[in-house]
Amino acid sequence: MSNVILKNVVKRFGSVTVVDNLSIEIRDKEFAVLVGSSGCGKTTALRMIAGLEAVTSGEIFIGDTLVNDLEPKDRDIAMVFQNYALYPHMNVRENMGFGLKIRKISKEEIDSRVQEAADILGIHELLDRKPKELSGGQRQRVAVGRAIVRKPKVFLFDEPLSNLDAKLRVAMRAEISKLHRRLGATIIYVTHDQVEAMTMADRIFIMNKGIVQQSGAPMEVYAQPANRFVAGFIGSPAMNFIEATLVSENGVLHVEAGDFRVQTPAAFSSRLESHVGKQIIFGVRPEDISLHDPSANAGEGNTVTARADVVETLGSEIFVHLSQGEHSVVARMEVPEHPLTVGQTLQVDLKMSKTHVFDKETSQAIV
Amino acid sequence: MKKKLVSTIFFYLLVTGIALVVLFPFVWMLASSFKTQVDIISWPPKFIFSPTLQNYQKVFGEQDFLKYFFNSTIIGAVSVGLSLVLGLPAAYSISRYAQKKLAVFILLARLMPGISFLMPWYIVFSRLNLMDSYVALILSHMLISLPIVVWIMSTYFSTIPREMEESAMVDGATRQYAFFTIILPLSGPGIITATTLSFIFSWNNFMFSQVLSMEKTKTLPIAVYNFVSYAEVDWGGVMAAAVAIMAPAIVLTMIFQKYVVKGLTMGAVKG
Ligand SMILES: Nc1ncnc2c1ncn2[C@@H]1O[C@H](COP(=O)(O)OP(=O)(O)O)[C@@H](O)[C@H]1O
Ligand SMILES: [Mg+2]
Repeated sequence: MSNVILKNVVKRFGSVTVVDNLSIEIRDKEFAVLVGSSGCGKTTALRMIAGLEAVTSGEIFIGDTLVNDLEPKDRDIAMVFQNYALYPHMNVRENMGFGLKIRKISKEEIDSRVQEAADILGIHELLDRKPKELSGGQRQRVAVGRAIVRKPKVFLFDEPLSNLDAKLRVAMRAEISKLHRRLGATIIYVTHDQVEAMTMADRIFIMNKGIVQQSGAPMEVYAQPANRFVAGFIGSPAMNFIEATLVSENGVLHVEAGDFRVQTPAAFSSRLESHVGKQIIFGVRPEDISLHDPSANAGEGNTVTARADVVETLGSEIFVHLSQGEHSVVARMEVPEHPLTVGQTLQVDLKMSKTHVFDKETSQAIV
Repeated sequence: MKKKLVSTIFFYLLVTGIALVVLFPFVWMLASSFKTQVDIISWPPKFIFSPTLQNYQKVFGEQDFLKYFFNSTIIGAVSVGLSLVLGLPAAYSISRYAQKKLAVFILLARLMPGISFLMPWYIVFSRLNLMDSYVALILSHMLISLPIVVWIMSTYFSTIPREMEESAMVDGATRQYAFFTIILPLSGPGIITATTLSFIFSWNNFMFSQVLSMEKTKTLPIAVYNFVSYAEVDWGGVMAAAVAIMAPAIVLTMIFQKYVVKGLTMGAVKG
């Protein structure tokens, strides 16, 4: 079993708390992604799991063994560092075999494992090169190769794709996912890029200021963000937020903010009732805003009139920056038959069943 | 355009001026080492003279020059070697565990006037019957080389990303093993800098050797000084000996110029 459990893990540097009471459980063979903006403590969390940084308090278990006092070498993990940390004075073959050589594994076994890893990663022709003779993408592969020859219980990846160009990043994303299935290993992967998290993870852990805000399957987190931070972090373009008040009219609940007024679905009522008259934050994703369709949704109170300020054409779709009074939102739509013009007044429909309401004071999701 | 020309001219004037000031004594010394005593003290100075090798013959012949040369070499090499053995791990520890206080303490040993160590040493070494021994000379010269090694190398180690040895540690190495197999092989340039500089400073050292050595372990600078201490100063001999002493330092500096400049600009040493 190679699950990883963090129990109330705290890390302070002097008086600065970098990781605050982190409690997570990563299951055996799971691809877990810790995602959060830069400086939120992701690398520190990973380094504590690796044993490169001591915990201030709390417990870390790898495969049911308490590892707090174990040296990195005794934790049976492999780590791919953000800067790859290839040994410059060794060629690729020696880099990959280094960990095996220390463990006194026979030369034949080392050779065959390096070959096997080189096969998987397609880096045969690089084996006799030095790291400085490799491109960024090749270095990244070698770093991954150095990790997989060891066949460890747990792989730790620290933003391995952040130094690659956009195209290579997309390719490597798929490749690492494939590698995970092939190796059947537990992977803890750290990134600031929510797209990486969404596309690769079995389970996402969203971190902010050293605290895990929410965890769950990617679609779960996307559909049911637990708070405003998660809602704004996951999804691109980001969710639109409007500060509003919840009002009740003849038993029907409305979100109201100046001229902006939409009716909430009946299904939300029971959860929203206690917030009537209070300040809330209304959230709607760009993809849940579409051009008004008179044939559908008639009379549901979900149609809003707005002005198109900017229209960005991406080819397959468009981003429209809409404004109404002081409010502005981004909508993501299919390319319409008649091109939109800047300054044009539009009617748009909000897919109300997909919208979100957050408590303004606590930022927690109400629906 | 014009401005650029002016500043270029100014630049070369300045360089020439500085070079004159720096090189004049050296050229004077070099020239004098090939002159006879009469030519040296003649006024106005002779720029055209028939060169003679007699000064060098005297230095290498009459004086036990080769012995002193050997002493300087052995004392410099062993003290630098021991300083590397002790200083490299110390510097690594200072760099990785941010031991600023220890670093400053070691630097302090370098900044204090060497003469303040001499008295205690003199007493200790005489009681131990170690006066005029290689042990005493080597230990005293380590006071010169050890701080240079520690200071240069802790700065150098800090330029190596800590992920290097951390990666090795995750791969199964102890920190010590990672230090020897990963960090040291990457430290060549730093080690060359530290070695060259500390060897030159040991080579040039006068004070420690003057007090702690006698005939057996006498080093080159002391031997030159002996030319002066007779009733009549043998200028030709002094100059020839000085050239012979300076030669290794100059050759070393030229070979490792890049590294020496780097070491000096790290602010690691005082002259
Ligand atoms: N050794 C350290 N000493 C002091 N502060 C540190 C140290 N390592 C990291 N930090 C601080 O901890 C915070 C989180 O760092 P890190 O875990 O690297 O963030 P992330 O990987 O999420 O970008 C940062 O503010 C960083 O400055
Ligand atoms: Mg990081």
